Amino acid sequence: MKKILIGIGLACVLSLAGCGGGGAPETAKKLEPTAPAAGGGAAAVPDEANGATITGKVTFDGAKPAGKAIDMSANPVCMRAHASSPQKPEDVVVNDNGTLKYTFVWIKSGLPDQNWQVATTPVSLDQNGCMYSPHMIGVMAGQPIAIKNSDPTNHNIHPQPSTNQEWNESQAPGSADKNQSFARQEVMIPVKCNIHPWMRAYIGVVAHPFFAVTGSDGTFTIKGLPPGTYTIEAWHEKYGTSDQTITVGAKESKTQDFSFKG
Amino acid sequence: MSDQDKDPVLHSSLSKHLFIWSALLVISMVWGLWDEMYGIRPWKSYEARFEKLYSKYLATAKTGQAATERQIKGSPEYQRLDREMQAAEKAAIPEASAIDKEVNESLVPKILALNDPFQVTRAHIGSLTYEIEVSTSDSRKDSLRQEIQKLKDEVQKIQLPGPGEEPRSMKFDDMAKLLQDMKDKKAALLQKRVDVMKKATELRAGRDQYLSDRLADASTDTIAAVENSLANFDIRIRQIHVKDVDLVDRCESCHLGAREPVVLTKAAMGGEAVFTSHPSKELLKIHDPEKFGCTPCHGGNGAALSSVEKAHGYNKYWLWPMHHKENIDAGCQQCHVKEIVTEMADTLNAGREIFRLRGCRGCHRYEGFDREADEIASVNQQIRQFEQQKAEWLREAGFKEQKANNPRTSDADAKKLNAEANDLKVRSTGLDAKMEQLDMRSHELVREVKKIGPSLKEVRVKLRKEWVPIWLQDPHKWREGTKMPTFRLDADEIRAIGAFIWQSGVQGELPQQKPGDPEKGKEAFETRGCMACHSMGEGNQKQGGTFAANLSREGEKANYDYLVRWVHNPRQRTAPYCTFEKKDLTKADYDKHNLPYVFDLEHSRCPNDGHELQVQQMTPMPSLRLTEDEARDIASYLMTRKGTNASYANADYLDDPNLRNAGLAKVRFYGCAACHEISGLEEEQRIGTELTKEGSKPLERLDFALLGHEAEREGWYTHKGFFEHKLENPAVYDQGKEKARQDRLKMPNFNLSKAEIDAVTTFLEGSVDASVPPKYFYQPADQRQDIIDGWWVVRKYNCMGCHRVHTAQTTIFDTLTKYQDPDWKDQKPPTLIGEGARVRPDWLMRFLGNPALSENDTNRDGVRQYLKVRMPTFSFSDGELRKLVRFFEALSSQSQPFIAEQLDPLSDQERGMARSLFSSEGAPCLKCHMTGDAQHDARATAPNFTVARERLKPGWTKRWMLNPAMMSPGTAMPSGLFRHEENRWVFAGPTPSSFSGYPKDHADLLVRYMFQFTPDELNRLRSSAGSSGN
Repeated sequence: MKKILIGIGLACVLSLAGCGGGGAPETAKKLEPTAPAAGGGAAAVPDEANGATITGKVTFDGAKPAGKAIDMSANPVCMRAHASSPQKPEDVVVNDNGTLKYTFVWIKSGLPDQNWQVATTPVSLDQNGCMYSPHMIGVMAGQPIAIKNSDPTNHNIHPQPSTNQEWNESQAPGSADKNQSFARQEVMIPVKCNIHPWMRAYIGVVAHPFFAVTGSDGTFTIKGLPPGTYTIEAWHEKYGTSDQTITVGAKESKTQDFSFKG
Repeated sequence: MSDQDKDPVLHSSLSKHLFIWSALLVISMVWGLWDEMYGIRPWKSYEARFEKLYSKYLATAKTGQAATERQIKGSPEYQRLDREMQAAEKAAIPEASAIDKEVNESLVPKILALNDPFQVTRAHIGSLTYEIEVSTSDSRKDSLRQEIQKLKDEVQKIQLPGPGEEPRSMKFDDMAKLLQDMKDKKAALLQKRVDVMKKATELRAGRDQYLSDRLADASTDTIAAVENSLANFDIRIRQIHVKDVDLVDRCESCHLGAREPVVLTKAAMGGEAVFTSHPSKELLKIHDPEKFGCTPCHGGNGAALSSVEKAHGYNKYWLWPMHHKENIDAGCQQCHVKEIVTEMADTLNAGREIFRLRGCRGCHRYEGFDREADEIASVNQQIRQFEQQKAEWLREAGFKEQKANNPRTSDADAKKLNAEANDLKVRSTGLDAKMEQLDMRSHELVREVKKIGPSLKEVRVKLRKEWVPIWLQDPHKWREGTKMPTFRLDADEIRAIGAFIWQSGVQGELPQQKPGDPEKGKEAFETRGCMACHSMGEGNQKQGGTFAANLSREGEKANYDYLVRWVHNPRQRTAPYCTFEKKDLTKADYDKHNLPYVFDLEHSRCPNDGHELQVQQMTPMPSLRLTEDEARDIASYLMTRKGTNASYANADYLDDPNLRNAGLAKVRFYGCAACHEISGLEEEQRIGTELTKEGSKPLERLDFALLGHEAEREGWYTHKGFFEHKLENPAVYDQGKEKARQDRLKMPNFNLSKAEIDAVTTFLEGSVDASVPPKYFYQPADQRQDIIDGWWVVRKYNCMGCHRVHTAQTTIFDTLTKYQDPDWKDQKPPTLIGEGARVRPDWLMRFLGNPALSENDTNRDGVRQYLKVRMPTFSFSDGELRKLVRFFEALSSQSQPFIAEQLDPLSDQERGMARSLFSSEGAPCLKCHMTGDAQHDARATAPNFTVARERLKPGWTKRWMLNPAMMSPGTAMPSGLFRHEENRWVFAGPTPSSFSGYPKDHADLLVRYMFQFTPDELNRLRSSAGSSGN
């Protein structure tokens, strides 16, 4: 009788052990899909109706830099394009209302870990009058950039990223647009033309759609943010960066201004 | 109790005992069996687990891979390729199947039907022919011949299969002809079928290539193949046996995933690291495990299977324990012992570099690290051998002539003897040539020997006296991370050593310098290239290289006048040193011989005895060919680099002659001359133990002193443990010992970081008496030897501070904040990847010897005059130049000797075309490349075309123009200048009208133009560029 009991007991223990052994991979399996889900789930789109909106302006504190006209004498074709008014550099452009143009504002951190649907409309970057137009653009990682050459001279487009792959392509006058994109988030990628060394553009590549470039009124708007607490950064090529923390709720509109000292 | 009750036979039962014993027996048998099967064979359970985990992983991998394949197969491009392939196949199938039908249904049966009777007759004829050959009588032969003829004339009835075939009457020859015709027809049809299907076959290959190009991991086919082989998985010992070296490695009995075609990670194999794939397929390709096994590289006991500890060799008394992960490169050293740089062994390379650069080799001999000294010895020995050989040959020639002149020698013998004598004389002149070369080499080798630390002969002219004791006290406290280690000196020792050094310094006069501009000096210091070796700033402000000293506090210690001379020409000495007389020469030595007191590379013979002098400072620091003004600016800037409260106590006691002798003894004791040039101690011997085989020194001979037991307890009673503790605290094995001062451990503290200690430990752990036979050593007899030799020179002069020599490397410029700016990025020194393919070796030799490429205009870079940084003059010896040029040629696999490529001459029309393209608005060449026009060149960012012909190789130039980014990622030269069109390259932008109808390759045209470029042509080009408004 005892033996039978022992036998039964043993069988129970063994089967328990068996269950235990089988249980572990089960949980492992369950855990597995959650990790790729963060990166591989369905791509989200900003919810403009219910999301939060952050607006603001980037002010400039200090004397407006005079800015010496660019010397294009080495390239008459370029000089002719600015015959009427000499071109000034665009590294610091202070608007008439005392705000700063060409500041890149983006949500640096705080977003839920998910994929955002990549915009497919190409952002245009033109080479016109031996200047990049516009001087600064923002794109999503993977979003196409259409590079045009409107000049009657040859340019080369040479972005110098640090994490994305670097490239340097020649674009002859009158040739077709070049469609390019950057795969990874990088704020910012400087772009230069080796032939016309004064030419400079900046491309902000962001993994999500919450970014903006200040224009001639110095303001920016970021729409459709999910509720949460974020680090929002303003990036300027000469004056560096400025970070702020901001918390927004659903459908809430908040203002966040930045200021750079000259 | 009755008797019966007491009767043991009746009442004492042994069944209990029996039961217990038999149970014990059963248990021990079960245990014995289990132990036999699994206990002493733990690898069996590894194999079982591996099989299970692997199958499981393959199943998931397959679905994942299948999904990827489906995705690719669903892509429009694949679909298009597939459609094209299907269409081509469909179009070709009717014809192909018609051919198949004809071949299979008509030709083949006919051939078979005819073949039988034909073969029978042929065999018969064959046997009769043989009989003719072996028969001896002519009549028999004739009759046999007639018989053959009869067979050939015999008419056979042949019925070939197939509709419409009538029975035929055929003779043998007819049959042969028909058979051959049918066979030819079959071959022709099959060839036709291949042609018909060609397009479809090519398209199918293209489609499959498209798929495999996009699958990073193993394809489903590979996985299926692996699964098949796994189905027959059996549990057995898996071993590598290399017979001729007695190697048995059974590592793969547990490490089953090491060589699997599917890449296995720890996560994929259920978290069991033991089953992962070898991390570098490339290393395994070079070192095929079937030939090299595992343990020669990794250490451990390859034959052991009974426990992990034993197999890994971590049990006591096993001489070759497995290398730990942080020292994994140690295994490379035993065969790659001749190298300073071994590819894919970064930790080992770092360890060797510390050993070389931090001066370890100054006190510890390590075979192969004293390259110059060893070569001097070997050169001198060779010269002596050749001298002996020559004397011997000439004596023998004399004897032979003597014998030839002897009247008793026959004419023929005399002639022969004279010829032999002449032969010996001629051969001895060959020895003269060799000796002359060796003699030159021995002279220039004096120049190649460098010291780790600065010359202490110069202290009196160079340093502030008060600073010397502060430095001796603790160099690392004064200058963090400096090469000079911290010695454990007491106050008396510091006074004595300081006094000796100060008093042994040579006396010399320095010209007094006017002050320079520190602002300009700062700019020059940061942009001329100084920072490739020197760093500036302390703590996290530090920027620049670690090859040479940090100069943040230079102003506290240096004498300005000396600094100006040093910056202007670091190799300039205050006094030359005669290696033969063993003394520093003074002006008096030169005056005796009525010679001016001039000593440099052109005046390097001792006036007293003609021996080679040490005329240069023994520093690798080159001359940047600065003007004196620039040198003053930089020196002035450096003099501003000092701490805020830099005042030091008076140190006049350094002049006390009574301290001198005590100081000399201490300097000898601590081995200062290992790294420094010190008057009177130029020939000092090493004070440390030789480390060439330190890693295999018996453990008992490593002196753990009182820490032996502790080490055993804590598990570091190993070579690795000994090295690590010693490097971390060189005095550690003095702990608890009662020792007199002079008996204590001398090794100073280098303040190495953990990573540095790991690197040096790796190097020492790998420094062993090799366990493999010498044929396994890396001793290439081809160009790869040039690479080994070249690395020593490249490292010696820190070429990699400025240049990228291989792709995975960063330079110091890549780390400088200033050079992160897009404009400054173009100011970086050029990369040297593929340099051997790019430039001509004769040009490279000239450039390395004189980087200004000019005798009079030396204040410039010979090629890239637009760079702020410039290639310095290293005063390489001829031997070093040869090694460097061969190194670059070998890295690019260039054949030797160099033969210049001949280019087609340029017609006048072509020259005009090329010129018009060069100066057109569509071609940007002249906007970046220098033209010799000063105003333009100030903005240029690329070399002048006039140097192309003598500098570049045409083949490289064309490849460069077509795709520069491929050869040098990040280059300022844009890609996409040409596009491929009908087997030639044409310019991608608008071409001048003269190009219409030009059928040749545009890139070729431009290369030919560039290589026939003259200064005249440049002027014409410039003027035509100017007129077109460029």
